[in-house]
Amino acid sequence: MNANPYLPDMATIVEVIQETHNIKTFRVVINNEERMKAFTFRPGQVGQLSVFGAGESTFVINSSPTRKDYLQFSVMRVGEVTSRLHQLQPGDQIGVRAPLGNSFPLEDLKGKNIVFIGGGIGMAPLRTLFTYMLDNRKDYKDITLLYGARSPADLTYKAELPEWTSRKDVNTVLTIDNPSDGWEHKVGLIPNVLLEINPKPKNTVAITCGPPIMIKFTLQALKKLGFEDENILTTLEKRMKCGVGICGRCNIGTKYVCMDGPVFTYAQLKELPSEL
Amino acid sequence: MERFITKENLTRLAEELAATHRVLAPVATCGTVTFRRFQPGMALDLHSRMAAVSPKAATFPQTETLLTVKSEIPEKKPVITETLPQGKSVVIGCRPCGARGKLIFNPVYETDTTKDPYFILRRDNTVFVSLACDRPETTCFCHSVGSGPADPDGSDVLLTLVGDGYVARSVTEAGEEILKSALFADAGAKGKEADAKNEKAREMMGEAHDYVSAPAKLLARFDDLDFWAAQSAKCISCGACTYMCPTCYCFNITDDDQGLESRRIRTWDNCMSHTFTLEGSGHNPRPTKAHRLKNRIGHKFSYYPDLHGGVMACCGCGRCIKQCPAGVDIRQIVKAAQEYSE
Amino acid sequence: MSQLDDLKNAIKGRLGELECVIGWEQGYDSLHATPLFIRSEADLDRLIIGPLAVHNLVTYLTGFKGKKVGVVVKGCDSRSVIQLLNEKLINRDDVVIFGLCCDGVVSQRKIRAALPADPGFVESVEIGASDLKVTVAGQAATLRLSDVLADKCLICDTPDAIVSDVLIGTPHTPAPAASLACQDEFEAKSDAEKFAFWQETMSRCIRCYACRNACPMCVCRDHCIATSRDPLWLSQDNSPAENMMFQMVHVSHLAGRCTECGECERACPVDIPLMLLRRYMNRQVKDVFEMQAGKVLDQTPPLLTFKVQEERINERGW
Repeated sequence: MNANPYLPDMATIVEVIQETHNIKTFRVVINNEERMKAFTFRPGQVGQLSVFGAGESTFVINSSPTRKDYLQFSVMRVGEVTSRLHQLQPGDQIGVRAPLGNSFPLEDLKGKNIVFIGGGIGMAPLRTLFTYMLDNRKDYKDITLLYGARSPADLTYKAELPEWTSRKDVNTVLTIDNPSDGWEHKVGLIPNVLLEINPKPKNTVAITCGPPIMIKFTLQALKKLGFEDENILTTLEKRMKCGVGICGRCNIGTKYVCMDGPVFTYAQLKELPSEL
Repeated sequence: MERFITKENLTRLAEELAATHRVLAPVATCGTVTFRRFQPGMALDLHSRMAAVSPKAATFPQTETLLTVKSEIPEKKPVITETLPQGKSVVIGCRPCGARGKLIFNPVYETDTTKDPYFILRRDNTVFVSLACDRPETTCFCHSVGSGPADPDGSDVLLTLVGDGYVARSVTEAGEEILKSALFADAGAKGKEADAKNEKAREMMGEAHDYVSAPAKLLARFDDLDFWAAQSAKCISCGACTYMCPTCYCFNITDDDQGLESRRIRTWDNCMSHTFTLEGSGHNPRPTKAHRLKNRIGHKFSYYPDLHGGVMACCGCGRCIKQCPAGVDIRQIVKAAQEYSE
Repeated sequence: MSQLDDLKNAIKGRLGELECVIGWEQGYDSLHATPLFIRSEADLDRLIIGPLAVHNLVTYLTGFKGKKVGVVVKGCDSRSVIQLLNEKLINRDDVVIFGLCCDGVVSQRKIRAALPADPGFVESVEIGASDLKVTVAGQAATLRLSDVLADKCLICDTPDAIVSDVLIGTPHTPAPAASLACQDEFEAKSDAEKFAFWQETMSRCIRCYACRNACPMCVCRDHCIATSRDPLWLSQDNSPAENMMFQMVHVSHLAGRCTECGECERACPVDIPLMLLRRYMNRQVKDVFEMQAGKVLDQTPPLLTFKVQEERINERGW
């Protein structure tokens, strides 16, 4: 980050991957070589991407800190900034303000079994930590990834799915909501598939992200499976502007999602006033 | 330092300062008193009424250009220029509550990890010459939020009206510099008169309301949407309260696209507006005015004091009450939460 | 029985079937009223009417969609009810209208100008038949009501509620002035003078949207183009030009709809005389379409319908 927290670094888009009909993944490199080299972040942290003239929006950095050639962001086209981002090509310039926010508690996760539960675009923040763990595989015990989307066409990171599903050292389960021709994986809603997988809560941390309705039922399923509130992690989304705890809109009571989050344990969420 | 300045000389002082500073002072236009950029020849209006809008624009302008971006071919090779505020300012004739507002910004805009250079530069280059109040309005409650009609906190010079001029006391070094002007005279025995006036003004305010229980009591009502629906029934969800407030510091950041050039501006934003928390997905965590008023009042009297040593994010100026088109009274709402029994 | 007692009795009789009845009570001091949402008979004790009851409570009606509520209206306010009904923005069966025969309401701005000290220092107010006795900062002043009436009251031709379920009070024979001096003076100015006036006035605007949200006809509110990025018609930059642009959008959107209740101007915290724009627009609408918003029930608003050839628009006759 610059001393002026509002001043973005100029960055070049080096690759654009069309993930689904409305999600693209952008790989970007900060133009200033020294700053790119010195750039560090922790899984879970977010960044603000600028399309000048349109504005800024917040996205999670979904590349792993262990892979340093570029920063990766996955962007669903929903509004002005994201629509303009989707029009950009490799070589185009954007602004980056990153890293912002807190991160997954990496130290606490060492030596634990990990269950990732991602729904739709909610896979983006999980991808950061998942690939980080693959790169530091020996630090963790069993790793399970449950990733679901509405249909096969709505799955992101398709280029990586074959690797994820074929690796012997992780248990990757893919699911879609309704049957589809040629689909060889599970069919069913994420919380139901989760109950079917039946991960044991002992020494296990569940990390989930997805649309609010999925989170709601996934939390219920995790409780049913016996997970403690402290061992359930999620990342929140709020409308943000400054990203540095000043502009005053992403608060839930005294907590600012941009500074105190986006990563919260379920135990912390329960302590917060109910205003998700 | 204690000096005396006549009313006439205060205008002279404003004129002198205007040569080297951006001077903001209360000026009446068509019967409305607002802080305007003072130019020689203008008449100061310190006494007819409290300015409608607080002087917060001196340190937090309604529109601040954060940066400009130029590019000859859009999206290729844009050049960013950061546009930090330049120059020095003086606010003359605000009330102590108005000057105190910026103190509420401090722990948010300047932390160990984050420093907002725009606010900090403006704050450090602005001198506040405040006028102590000699009688409370029906909407004043500064004494209940840890302040008072002659509170020096946040001011650099505090004026007290005595006879045909003002006893002027420096509060800071920057204030002392101002008092070195030859337009000031020896205060003589007038200082005692000023003390007596300030004391009387404080007495006229009566007993202060105790807000100590407010943070916990407001939080206890968080899930009681019926309470907030009743309290917000007459609110029309406009932004008059927040925009006139000396302490409301929330902002928006938007880009103004002018072809090959764009400007990133930050503008006052308003938590009573539906769009304030509206997310890209269409989801809004504060969908009704009841949710939004709850956050506005919670922020001032619960979350902020919880985070910042018990200080309320309110300086009791009463503008939000007096100028509310529907007469929403923040004092009553906090009190209702404090006195609520299940 | 007084008009207030009649009103209280009328409300008492209907309260059971209603979510609430919207009226007025004393506000933060004796010079100011504030809206009152009456939900029980006990609340009725706080009800007031009279020259300080300035708010057009019809503004709240669209917020009660699907619920049945009562509202107390002055003649001018009743025009807003009619316009909302004509635009099908509220349902007649969902509103019980307690109409008043109104003797006029005050302009707080005129009171402020007439008092010897700021009204913020008010100590007591006594409302007489034709005057207000106000003590402010220890000084007593008697203001003639006719001197401090709101501008809209001076030209009012509908003092009594036009539409109501219960009409309280004795109907008037209105004797409105033909025009307002402030309007005539403004319109007599040259374009350059008008431009300078708005340039100056709009530099005071803080874009708080009190004008918009106080307006009973501004029903877009949460979805107003003022803060929208798509479409992007206005910058958030608080410059006189952008501020004026918002006002032009606002007034244009009210063409054929503005009932001249004056809430926009009353709500403005920095005293921008917005009614200068409204009255001008309304006169154009009256000249072209021979209609005034909110005066006739079941009238189709001219800009919500289409005629191939408007009688008073000479489109192809050159």
